[in-house]
This record gives sequence, structure tokens and C-alpha cells, in this order.
Amino acid sequence: MESSPDLKTRREFLRTGLLGGSLCWTLPAFLNRTMQSLHAEADGALVQGITGKDGNILVVLQLAGGNDGLNTVIPVGHDEYLKARPKIAIRDKSALLLDAKTGLHPALAGLSAAYQDGHLAVVQAVGYPNPNRSHFRSTEIWATATDENQSSSTGWIGRYFDNACQGCDAAVGIALAGQTPQAFAAATPKGVLYQGNWGGGGKKKHREASLQIEADGSMMMEDEDGDGPAGGSIGDIGGPSSQGKMSSLDFLERTEMDARVSQQEIAQASARAKNAVPYPGSRLGQNFAAVARLIAGGMPTRIYYLSQGGYDTHVDQVGAHERLLREMGDAVAAFLADLKAQGNLGRVSLMTFSEFGRRLKENASGGTDHGAAAPLFLAGGAVHAGLHGKMPSLEKKDLNDGDVQFNVDFRSVYATVLEKHLGVKSAPILGRSFPLLGAYG
Amino acid sequence: MIATLPSSAWDRAKAGQLLQRAAFGGTPEEIDQLAGMGPASAADLLLGPKALGEVTPPPNVLKPGLTEQQRFLRKKLRLLPPKDRESKARELYRAVRAEQDRRLTEIRGWWLDRMAHPAMAAREKLVLFLHGHFATSAEKVRNPIMLFRQNQLFREKGYGRWHELVLGVAKDPAMLLYLDGSKNRAGAPNENFARELFELFTLGVGNYTEQDIQESARAFAGWTVGWPRKPGEPEDQENTPPVFIDRKNWHDTKTKKIFGQRGSFDGEDVVRLALSQKAAPIWITRKLWRFYTGWVPEGGLQAELAEEWSRLDGEIRPFLKAMWTHPSFYDPQHAEDRVKSPTEWLVGLCRQLGGPLPAPALASNMLAELGQKLLEPPNVKGWDGGITWINTSTLAKRYEYTSWIVAGTRGMQKLAGMDLNRLAIESGLREIPPPLLMDPNTPVTKPAMEVSEKDLRLEAARKARTLLAISPAPVGQLVDPGERRDPSKLISVLTDRFLCGYPMPEEKRKKLMEGYGTGPMTDASIRKLILALVQSPVYQVT
Repeated sequence: MESSPDLKTRREFLRTGLLGGSLCWTLPAFLNRTMQSLHAEADGALVQGITGKDGNILVVLQLAGGNDGLNTVIPVGHDEYLKARPKIAIRDKSALLLDAKTGLHPALAGLSAAYQDGHLAVVQAVGYPNPNRSHFRSTEIWATATDENQSSSTGWIGRYFDNACQGCDAAVGIALAGQTPQAFAAATPKGVLYQGNWGGGGKKKHREASLQIEADGSMMMEDEDGDGPAGGSIGDIGGPSSQGKMSSLDFLERTEMDARVSQQEIAQASARAKNAVPYPGSRLGQNFAAVARLIAGGMPTRIYYLSQGGYDTHVDQVGAHERLLREMGDAVAAFLADLKAQGNLGRVSLMTFSEFGRRLKENASGGTDHGAAAPLFLAGGAVHAGLHGKMPSLEKKDLNDGDVQFNVDFRSVYATVLEKHLGVKSAPILGRSFPLLGAYG
Repeated sequence: MIATLPSSAWDRAKAGQLLQRAAFGGTPEEIDQLAGMGPASAADLLLGPKALGEVTPPPNVLKPGLTEQQRFLRKKLRLLPPKDRESKARELYRAVRAEQDRRLTEIRGWWLDRMAHPAMAAREKLVLFLHGHFATSAEKVRNPIMLFRQNQLFREKGYGRWHELVLGVAKDPAMLLYLDGSKNRAGAPNENFARELFELFTLGVGNYTEQDIQESARAFAGWTVGWPRKPGEPEDQENTPPVFIDRKNWHDTKTKKIFGQRGSFDGEDVVRLALSQKAAPIWITRKLWRFYTGWVPEGGLQAELAEEWSRLDGEIRPFLKAMWTHPSFYDPQHAEDRVKSPTEWLVGLCRQLGGPLPAPALASNMLAELGQKLLEPPNVKGWDGGITWINTSTLAKRYEYTSWIVAGTRGMQKLAGMDLNRLAIESGLREIPPPLLMDPNTPVTKPAMEVSEKDLRLEAARKARTLLAISPAPVGQLVDPGERRDPSKLISVLTDRFLCGYPMPEEKRKKLMEGYGTGPMTDASIRKLILALVQSPVYQVT
């Protein structure tokens, strides 16, 4: 048969395709030669040479769809809370207590353990003035770090790249997501996408069903990855990227160049390292495992971005929300354990966020509608563990249109992470100064 | 009046651009035909007749299946002893899921075939736009029939009035499930649909208030899904999918205040009120223009488009023609601004090569990897489009898949990123039978030999690899013997075919010619040349 010459041809095509061969006509010849010689060098050479290998790292986890903050960090035994949520409230006994009045959702055992170990900070009631309840607009506000009535073509992480990482490799930011997060949009585009096992030859794990059999034999059939029925209409939110002043064609040419270098580089770094602990089989768990390998493999990346969809729990939220939180908590716990084993826990911080929290009062479908402020988590070896900010008041007079008011502006969290963890000045990135939190050191 | 491009300004380059943007591209002969007839006739030819001819649905999608029978099977499950329930429930779930995936794959393949058909391409392009605009995902709406019917709604009403279409979507069972409208009733309003109707479908952020949403949700109360009942007969839930039902006893008849007006409005009123807002013609014409040109209209052009839309009373087919014959549609400043979506890229490439589309399961998984899983948009906003199609990962994959399509996949042991077992299930090459749910006391005859899951997977992967393999593109038929002998001529012919006359700089042409001798070129060399043209940034824009 013709299989062996064909295979050879295939390999040639692959090289032409991914790395650019002699026929490539979009890249200047000198650059092309440079690329090829780089590829020819020994595995480690490319990565080792880049500075910043030992710098601090931020991992951002987006909980897309609007996570129900009040059922994540529970105001334990609070009257207003119990009254507003007769069907879905987490009752006192099951919450994992952080202090006498505050507890975590019972599915967050992984985070509770991190809290006990001193690796988890909870920032209460994070939000911004005049909250917008549209998924897309509010996600955009968080991504661009602008005031509610302003807009920006660049994201806060993109401005960090522009300000602090001029001349860095494109892989200074890596998103494990379907599309480039809007937060990465920069004047000079940076950041690459990495999708799990691409190019590594591994097999993609297909969604596994998670079944819960109720006492009467009825079933809940939903996907473990949380994009399933629980997720409602919001799976992933990416949002527009910015191409600066480039035309689409220029943008494509630049992306092609980044792809040639970074895909190879990432695959090599990922192959160099192994995970020290087992991870959950969920997509989120596997993505965290991949990030841990990239960190261990010596990537010069400063920002990793992951996303978990499915938090838009308008309907029957109890089981769905529990599953999402369990998936998240277990994945984060494995990640922290892995970093600890690697000896990298001290230089990595994880920050979660969601575009908004949900309304205090449950709705008639056993779910919750779009709300405003909500807690977020910071995790890692360098965080100052504990509760930051105040548990929000749930008194009617203190609510904003039925929603929790913010105490901490989300840009204070960004500013703290930028200054205390990534070691850069935050005002040029965020447009002005925001009060810092005591969440580090 | 809206500006139109004079026939004197019409040329082959514009005809090629129109074919790519309005439809899915095509052959040099098709471009010649359009170029020979003037912009208005070219637009008419692409659009085809207003009336949708007979549509033959994909053969298996409309048959009742496990999705409908699920609730009955679940009842049976409950009769099992608890120890058997979980494993049987798991088996049932796998079987239902597999059947749904197979049917969804069938719809995707069927739809892609229509896109690749020259006479249907423009209408199907609009259906693709509408699918992204009124995004509804199989991830939540599992029932393939409902998604097929929604897709067909876009096809039937897409050339008609916007008002009718929006109303059709508001009553569409898949949409009612996707945005929870089906749960919306008096006393328990669900705002999800009303919010997206204003924010994403008709007006855009800033053109409505939270109160407009809340009161509109009440007006929609009672629009839900259910099973039709013939007099004297029970509902046939086992064999039919749910349809739109207007439940009178769920209506909220109290007064509402929407967009400053008071009345005991219902859903039809909300659609009418929303579309009479000033923002309505701007919102939809902006989105249509961006979809077809890749850039956002501003100022005078935006006003001109909105005005034309209003003049046409929201009639979509003539508006498409007005856009396609507008001088700005061919603005040379934006000639490189429109990024091909994965679907456009795939269908267009196969059309230009004169070869078939990859098998449905392979094609739809390729598109999914490239960021456009048909019938499963990422969220209710649909795909952002433009440069968001492109990132380091998707571009590398596009190039990889390009080589699969041009050179074929025969002889490859693995298809990177593809789960061959999944492909086999989605193609019906591997059956996932539902569990036997019999009375536990009935003796079950065990099969003589148990086959392990691992063996089944391996067998399925082997089948998928051989039966779904892509053949090398028939490039021999694209060139004649004279062109084979003349590399310079060959390059011109292929550039015209794949880049629609994109002017190639002389140095690049020289570079392409390097390494080719004087003898006639083999098919393999022609494939290499084609790859050099289409594995390039410029091929990704139209």
C-alpha cells in the first residue's frame, strides 16, 4: 500500500503547517531562518534562555455566568439569608465554618482545607458602583477594569503586558480557554491560547456524565464539566480581542509568528514536567494540571487564565451549583498540592472572579437571578490567609435593588495583586490608584 | 436613497469578494459568471428566489427516538432494585446522549452540504448569521428535533420581515427552553428571555431599563412548551417532541409599563414595542453589516443603513441586496478586514478544491476545535467573530486541517486532537444500545462472549479512521497539461482560484517558484503549491 510514503508526506506537511517551511511566504526570510534554527536547538535551550523563569505567577480563574456568592461563602445562620432562600439556603450544620458567622459551601472541602493550611484568603463583597446585570457588559467591566460608564479597548491584563512586559515572549500570558479572554486585549497583542493536549498526542478526555440518583429513582443527568444543562445560556464568555491599530491581516501574520514559537515551546515545557498529585478528570481539573506542568516545566509565563462556565443558575440551582463548586474546589486543591510538591507554591497566586453575584432572594424556579457584589478567593503560598473585607449587610435598607452592595472595589483586588504579588505599579495599568488590601505578606 | 454601486465599477475582484462574503466562495467559473452580469443581478442570482423551495430534512432527525422515550424509561428505572439503578441509569444516559450526538451530527452534515450547494449558499449563510444572532445551544437544549426546527425557522423566515422572524423566535420551543421562557408564568416571572431579547436580539445595551425587562417578562408569561393534545386523546409524549403552547392560565394580565407605555401587554406587544424603538433598526443593520463585511459601520453609513431598513419595513432579503450593492461594501480600505469563520473556511476550501466535504462527524469536530461548534455556540451572544476566530491555537489547527483536506488523511494513525471513538459514535459506526429495563425477575440470557469496552473502542477507532478518512483533493482536475508545464502560469491559475486574484508581490511569486524544475509538475507538487497559498494569513481573510 501507499502508507509509508504518505506518512512521510504527512510529516512534511505538518512541519510546513505548524512551523513554516521553505514555502512559507508570509515571513521574511531572515526571520524564517531564525525560527528554524531555534527549533533545531536542544529542547530546553529556548526556555532556559528567557529571563523571568523564577518570577511570580498569577493564575486567574473566571467563574462564568455569575457565581452565587451567598451560597459560596455563607452568612451562617443569618436570619435575612435564611428567610430569603427557603429552598436553597445552606443550613448551618453543613457549612464548612471559617469563623462563627461565615462558612464555605459544603462542596468546597478542598478550599476549606487550604484555608486551614493558611493558603486561602476570602475577599468579601467585591464589586463596583452602579452594578450592571448583563453578563456581557459586566464581564467586560471586570475585564477592562473601567468604571461602569466607561469603555476601553484594552483589558487590565493586556495593559499589564503593555506596561511591564515589553519585549516579552507572547507566551507571557497563556489562556486555557476557547478564545482569548478580553482581559488580555492589549495595544501590542500578547498572550497565547493553549488547549490541553493539542500537539502532545494525548487523547482528549470526553465529558463524563455525572449521575445522581434520587431516592425515588429519578435522575439528574448533567455534565461534570458544568457546561451542561446547569449552565443555562452562559458557558464560556470570551469577548472581543483587541488588535490595536493593526488590520486583521496584520493580526493574523503576528499570530502566525507567535503560534510557530509558542505552541512548540508550550508542548515541550508541558512534556518536561509531570504532575505530582492526581487531578480530577473534569476539564477544569485537567486544565489546572496542565498549568501546573507548564509552571514546573519552566515556562516564562506570568499570567495563566482559566475559565469554568455554568454559573448562570436561574433554575433548580441546588444540585448544579454544588457540582460546579465541587469541581472548582477539588481542582484548586489538587493544584495547590501540586505546586507545594514542586516548591512553587510561594510564587503562584490564584485569583477567582465572576461577573456578578446573584440576588439575595431566590426565584420561583428554585434558582437565583443576576445580582451584584460577591466574594472572591485568593489562594497560594504568599497570601495572607483569612477573611478580608466585611461580610455584607443583608438588611433590606442596605441592599441595592435587592442585591448585595459592594464593600471592596474589584480594582482594589487587582491593584493588590499587581503591586504585592507581581511587583508592578498598578496606577498606570488601572488608570488610577485604588486602596490596597492586606491580602499578602 | 441608499447609494448603489454603478455597473461601470463592477469587476471580477468585486465579484469574487461578493461570492466569498455573501455565500461561501466558489470556483473561478462562478466568479466569471457573477462578474459578467453587474452588481444587482449578481446579488439576485446569489440570493435566489424569495420562497424557500422544498426542503428534505435529514432522514433520521424527525423520527421519535430515545430523547422522547427518556421519561418513560426513567419510570421503568424506578422499578428496579436500588443496586441496579445507578448502573442502568448510566447506561441509559450514555445511550440517549449517543443518539442525540448522532442526530446532531446528522443535522450539521446536512446543513454543511446545503452551504456547499451553489444555489443555496447565500440563504444558508444568512441562516448561519441568524444561528449566531439568536444563539441557542444543544448543550442545554438536548433535543435534536427542536434544534433542527429552529434552524429551519431561520431558513423559512430569514428572507422575510424581521418582525415575523423575531416573533417566530420568541415562540420557538428551542429558544423557550434555552432562555427559560418555558418556566415563565404569572407570579413567577423569569427574566432571562426578555433581557436577551433587548440586549442581544433587538436593541443593545443602553436602550432599555431594568424595569422594561421585568415588566416584559411578565408580558411573555404563558409562552411555553408542551405537547399538543387531540380531543379525547392523551398527550403523546413518548413519540413527539414538545411544541410551542400559549398557556392562558399562566398569563399575567395586569397592567405593565414598557418603554414608557402602559397596557395589559402580551408577548406580541413586547416584540412590537421593542422593534418600534429608535435603536432597533440601528442594532440589526449594524450586526448584519459587520457579519458580511467584517467592520462596523459608523456615522453616515450607519444612518443610511438604518434608514433603508426602515424604508423596507424590515424586509431582510432586499436589505441584503442593498448591502451587497452598496459602494462601501467593497471599500478597499477594509479588503483585508474580514476574517473567515471556521465554517466559511471549511466550506470555501472544499468548494475551491472541487472535492467533497469531510464526513459530518469529522467536519463538525474540526469546526468545534476551530471555535465554531455548529448548534453549540458558546453562549447566548453567539460567536464574537472577526479576529476572535484567530489565536495561536486555532490558527495552528486551521493550518493542520488544511493539510488534511488538501493532502488527505489516509495512512495517518492518529488525527491530532480528534477522539476517534467519539467520531465513530457520532457517525453511527458504533452503537450504544439502551439498557434492557425488564422486570428483574425475568432471566436474562447472557451473550456467549463479552467484549470489553477497550476492544469496542479500538474497533470503533479503527472503523472511524478508515471510513471517515479524507481522500487527497483531486487537484489534477484543477489544472490542464499546459499549466502543469509552466510553473509561472500554474501559480497564476492557483492564485486566482484560491486567493481570488489577490495581488501577489513579485518576490513572493519568485519564492514560490524556487525549487520547481522545468518538467511537468506532479499532483504532489501541485498540492504543495496549494498549501503554500492556503496555509497563509491572507487566505483567512475575505
